[in-house]
Amino acid sequence: MNIFDIIGPVMVGPSSSHTAGAVRIGYISRKLLGENVKSAEILLYGSFLATGKGHGTQKALVAGLMGMKADDNRIPYSLELAEELGIEITFGEALLRDAHPNSVLLRLLGETGRTLEIMGESLGGGIVNIAQIDGIATNFSGDYPTLVVHNIDQPGHVTEVTSMLAHKSVNIASMQLYRSNRGGDAVMVIECDQEVPADSIQWLEHIEGIKKVTYLSLQG
Amino acid sequence: MIIYHSINDLVSLSEQLKLPMWQVIRKADCEARQVSEEESFATMKKMYQTMKQTDADYDKNLVSPSGMAGGAGEKMRVFNASGRNLAGEYLGLVMEKALKTGESNACMKRIVAAPTAGSCGVIPAVFLSFEEFNHMLEDRMVEAMYITAGIGAVIAENASIAGASGGCQAEIGSASAMAAAGLAYLQGGDNECIVHAMAFALKNMLGLTCDPVCGLVEVPCIKRNSAGAVNAVTSAQMALAGIRSAIAPDEVIDSMRRIGNELPACLKETGMGGLAVTESAMKVKEKLDAR
Repeated sequence: MNIFDIIGPVMVGPSSSHTAGAVRIGYISRKLLGENVKSAEILLYGSFLATGKGHGTQKALVAGLMGMKADDNRIPYSLELAEELGIEITFGEALLRDAHPNSVLLRLLGETGRTLEIMGESLGGGIVNIAQIDGIATNFSGDYPTLVVHNIDQPGHVTEVTSMLAHKSVNIASMQLYRSNRGGDAVMVIECDQEVPADSIQWLEHIEGIKKVTYLSLQG
Repeated sequence: MIIYHSINDLVSLSEQLKLPMWQVIRKADCEARQVSEEESFATMKKMYQTMKQTDADYDKNLVSPSGMAGGAGEKMRVFNASGRNLAGEYLGLVMEKALKTGESNACMKRIVAAPTAGSCGVIPAVFLSFEEFNHMLEDRMVEAMYITAGIGAVIAENASIAGASGGCQAEIGSASAMAAAGLAYLQGGDNECIVHAMAFALKNMLGLTCDPVCGLVEVPCIKRNSAGAVNAVTSAQMALAGIRSAIAPDEVIDSMRRIGNELPACLKETGMGGLAVTESAMKVKEKLDAR
């Protein structure tokens, strides 16, 4: 156990799950979008919906979407800051079934028109889980550089991605594969020990059968 | 590899390696995170200095969004200065600082979760007051912070530090136990004294429920930070006086886990029982919902 999970993290209050965890979900989502957010639809569920106002959950999510981390003193003013920057934010209720009690569904539009739908769960103590990307189940914490590849479910795509990683000396910490149905949409979630180079990600995007690549970098 | 899973492990590693307990905990951190002793110490120092900053930045005029939290730390400061302080200068200061940090957390200011945001006032209250009162060197305070972290890690592994799984005993109780152990060290206690201070503090908090009004980290959390901090001082003082816990420290932690499991869900951060369902709480809820 990391003793700085016991003494720490440094965070803006009041709640590690409803505030710090919410900032983190927003932050990871912004990173996965890969560009500044132009508009965001934020749909809250469960305890996030019920007690979010008193915990500053909405401010925390918006702060994260603007690239702030959990210890940023500007978190309480994030809604005003977003308005000044012309970022369009709408809040609502997420209609989910059997979801984690602290869940949020984010529908994001980036400044170049890139879109992303993310379901995040705040598990407590500031730890989060990204449970869905664009409607397909995933399961990662954002603690590692994470590569998410959407492809058509057909032979060879896993080899293309893992060969590229081997070639760039990137070690795989964990790997998960999901698909909607045989021959349909598939997703690979790969947590890495090193950062994946930007040009390799662009290269992946141009491979036939690969529909979308999102990447969570821990740098910057 | 230096690995500890229990209070007993911490004590025996300290004896085997002939190192003070805080250095055992630092060594384990260096190995686990692959950092140097200096880097580890600097990180812990930063945590302590952030606690100090939170205390210094306390704003007496802040009020939480619910309207329930704010201004109590200032009232305590004024009272302590009035000449009518019941508890002695040190304890008065401990209470004041616990309230200040707890209220700062409720008002969206920057804090150090120690071990959680809801219990973030306990350790700074006990430690910052001790440093101020005794003109301690900051590095010595950082050494004691390692003791709190190591004890907290053992509690997290064998029981819980989350109100949702263990009730408030897991949050304020753990924070109080961690603070008591650190305080015993600061006042010159040996390993045995440190771990018995921990045991007393945790025993005194067993069974404490997590039933906050409207689910917010405000009522009863903020004032309980003050009670948990004072309990840490009581516990350290008993251990320093040579009083020993009849129940072994690791067994107290194990009891906390079992009690936490047996607590009904309505008393574990669900807002469905205890103080959260009182008439007064319902009035606050109505006001909040109306906004």
